[in-house]
Amino acid sequence: MAIKKPHAASVSAEENLHRKLDMIDKRDAEVKAFIEVYREEALKSAKEVDKRIKDGKAGPLAGLVVAVKNNIAVKGKRLTCASKMLENHHAVYNATVVEKLIAADAIIIGSVNLDEYACGVDGTYSALQRTRNPLDLERVPGGSSAGSGASVAAGMCDAALGSDTGGSVRCPAAFCNAYGLKPTYGAVSRYGLADLAMSLDQIGVISKDKTIMKRVFDAIRGPDPRDQTTQLAENVSKKAAEVKVIGVPKEFFEGVDKHIAAGVRKRIKELEKNYEVREVSIPTLRYTVPIYQLTMAAEFSSAMQKYDGLRYGFPADRNEDLYTSFAKARDASLGKEIKRRIMVGTYITMKEFKDAWYSHALKAREVMKEEFASVMKDVDVLAGPAMPTPPWKFGEEMTPLEMYAADMLTIAANLTGTPAIVEPLSSDFKDGAIQFYGRHFEDDVLFRI
Amino acid sequence: MVNVVIGLEVHVQLKTKSKIFCSCPTNYRDVEPNENLCPTCTAQPGSKPFGLNKTALDNLLKIALALNCKVKDSSVIQRKHYLYPDLPSGYQRTSKPIGIEGNLGKIRIREVHIEEDPGRYELREGTVDYNRAGIPLIEIVTEPDMRSPDDAREFLDELAAILGYLDVARGEPGSMRADANVSIDGGTRVEVKNINSFSGVVAALAYEIVRQQNVLRRGGKVIMETRHFEEATGSTTTLRKKETEEDYRYMPDPDVPPITIKQSHVTELGKTMPELPRAKSARLSKDFGIRSEDAWILVAEVEIADLFEKMAKKAAPQKVALWIRGPLKKQLNYRELTMRQSGLNEEWLSELFDMFETAELSDKAMEQTLIALFDMKRSPRKIATELDLLMTKDTKEIDRVIEAVVNENPKSIEDYKAGNEKALNFVIGNAIKLLKGKADSKLVRELILKRIKEKK
Repeated sequence: MAIKKPHAASVSAEENLHRKLDMIDKRDAEVKAFIEVYREEALKSAKEVDKRIKDGKAGPLAGLVVAVKNNIAVKGKRLTCASKMLENHHAVYNATVVEKLIAADAIIIGSVNLDEYACGVDGTYSALQRTRNPLDLERVPGGSSAGSGASVAAGMCDAALGSDTGGSVRCPAAFCNAYGLKPTYGAVSRYGLADLAMSLDQIGVISKDKTIMKRVFDAIRGPDPRDQTTQLAENVSKKAAEVKVIGVPKEFFEGVDKHIAAGVRKRIKELEKNYEVREVSIPTLRYTVPIYQLTMAAEFSSAMQKYDGLRYGFPADRNEDLYTSFAKARDASLGKEIKRRIMVGTYITMKEFKDAWYSHALKAREVMKEEFASVMKDVDVLAGPAMPTPPWKFGEEMTPLEMYAADMLTIAANLTGTPAIVEPLSSDFKDGAIQFYGRHFEDDVLFRI
Repeated sequence: MVNVVIGLEVHVQLKTKSKIFCSCPTNYRDVEPNENLCPTCTAQPGSKPFGLNKTALDNLLKIALALNCKVKDSSVIQRKHYLYPDLPSGYQRTSKPIGIEGNLGKIRIREVHIEEDPGRYELREGTVDYNRAGIPLIEIVTEPDMRSPDDAREFLDELAAILGYLDVARGEPGSMRADANVSIDGGTRVEVKNINSFSGVVAALAYEIVRQQNVLRRGGKVIMETRHFEEATGSTTTLRKKETEEDYRYMPDPDVPPITIKQSHVTELGKTMPELPRAKSARLSKDFGIRSEDAWILVAEVEIADLFEKMAKKAAPQKVALWIRGPLKKQLNYRELTMRQSGLNEEWLSELFDMFETAELSDKAMEQTLIALFDMKRSPRKIATELDLLMTKDTKEIDRVIEAVVNENPKSIEDYKAGNEKALNFVIGNAIKLLKGKADSKLVRELILKRIKEKK
């Protein structure tokens, strides 16, 4: 497995790191992708990696510079989730993916911004800083892995880890004109990833280089005893499945910007040269947003229980009774969107309302999974647009519902647990991106189209 | 007697090396506060539960089988949401029922499930120790089939015996806790929480029944509430009044895959089950011809039942039974030791019992030897010899002592002759004391009576 040279053949790990650090120094004051730059540690590890390269003992990611979304634990470093609640929280352990990156000799350059607790589609819900799209500073970088997309697009790293609960890797990848992968649920350990919605969250990768993205994915994937949902990863068929038939769900084009839709259609037309392309229909795709919103909010409200002000956030007032102090700490430390989701999630999981909302969402999700499985018996991958619009400008007011609708093309992969990849259509980020969905644990197939 | 209805929810900490969802050790009593911790059992942001501890699940299954439960093919770990400082995640992981529809004698078991223990919150100091967070716990829920505190006592005694036989529970003080639901005369059900021992359950129930009776007697109404048992005073106080059931927003935990239980595995576990107290009691009573009430007492601790079986092969079983539940249990109870903890073995105890039966030791000397045995832990014959407790064979010495006590207590002798039996006991006691317990009290009595007659 050992790769002897860093990705750019003539460049040492240290030199590669310096280039990235220079770019941060040059541009991050305006882009604001990074929450923390691990300058000293990165330089130290670059030197060590270069030594290992020289000795022929380097790992598969030797010399690659990687940024990590700040909802993934890096030992001793701040794990803020871009929230006031965790602004000064330091992780006491490394996420499994971080351990694996280090073991593969990647250089972790720093932590990058996100929407608070990964709740958002454009990055503007970060409670700590506003990340801008390096391709057009007036536009949003996409979210919630805003800093991951922006740091990659600005050349501040070779790849960035993000997390994708409803499209949070793929949206910033598409908006920042990069490649983005949301692996199969269970392909990558979530140990060390702060929860948004446990049954939907998955760590993914963004890079301008598809090969690098694959290498990073290969380094971080695999079963982990500390995340039981990765057990299935062991059952992955190692044989390289061939792509023969591409399915195009007609629902994927409903409500999509005309220019983007045309671009994606054109690309699919090109694919017809090598593949059989079929139009298919997955009717439940029309309900992805409500199913997702209910499932996500229910799980999120559970995940957020621990942030009660006793252990994190503004310290609870000892002179007050417990519940008052919990309420005050949460009120002061959490953003508006977070509170909205907690309240919705709490409401729909109450005994009284559960059957009207949450139980329905769970059932609908099962139906969607069945529909997907049935369609994907005959087609190897699905294709469609990644995001319905190009990145919007800051200040273009959106209601929460409009915001939620931006996820409509990406969230089906989370609800069904299938892998999905997005690829830029042209060198202009406003042209949009194409997205492919694959079958469970056939992530590798997505790299062969 | 009023019509009392009692149901119990019994929590038992299981014996495992590591916690239920992580690999931290479980010896929380032996270490400094907050030492056995990891990101998972403190619910650090990003942490996830490892798989459900397999030993914990097997321990639960054994208990479920012992309680004659049906074992379900699958279960789910749910999140039970509530906020309290001892709960680092803000929800407790608790399974849906795994064992259902069982019974222990006449008490039906509704269900048995597994859950995680929270940490320990010291309200007064405002501190929390998370060492206990993640200790595997089972909850056994009975149907409301008990009609008195004594019913509850019997049920809990048998349950404790079973847990001991299976060797699956931690067993130290505080490792078994209970909540009790009590209603009288078909009235409102009151839940009593925080009962930290099985003996506390009986005390709490006795108190609660009287309290409810008093409320009714004064023309009041028992209200639906949760009450807190105060161990120190043996009373219950209002914890919270509840108009409706609390809403814990139960939700399947997406981080823990569903639990699947193969019936073949349950069958295999069933084969490893020891003979349980009820069956053992019946067998001992039948095979050895001892009284069933004695057998029931012997089987409360498996080591005692085993001791009996070995001893009863060498001596008269009924006598052995009475000796064990009498002198031996008295000394164990006094020291608050189980047979296992005592470090005594069957060889010594058989030897001691034999010496007693063959009149080498008087009853008093036997007791003294037994007491010494707890500390000295060697052959009772050697102990008795060293301490000079063996029955004296020197009849001259006995005669001399008897002559002395009869002569020195003329008043008592007169009283005895006048019909006061107790007066004679005083004389016998003096003689035994002078003989340092080395003579049998029956023999001494006979000899004294003989001497009194002779003196006439």
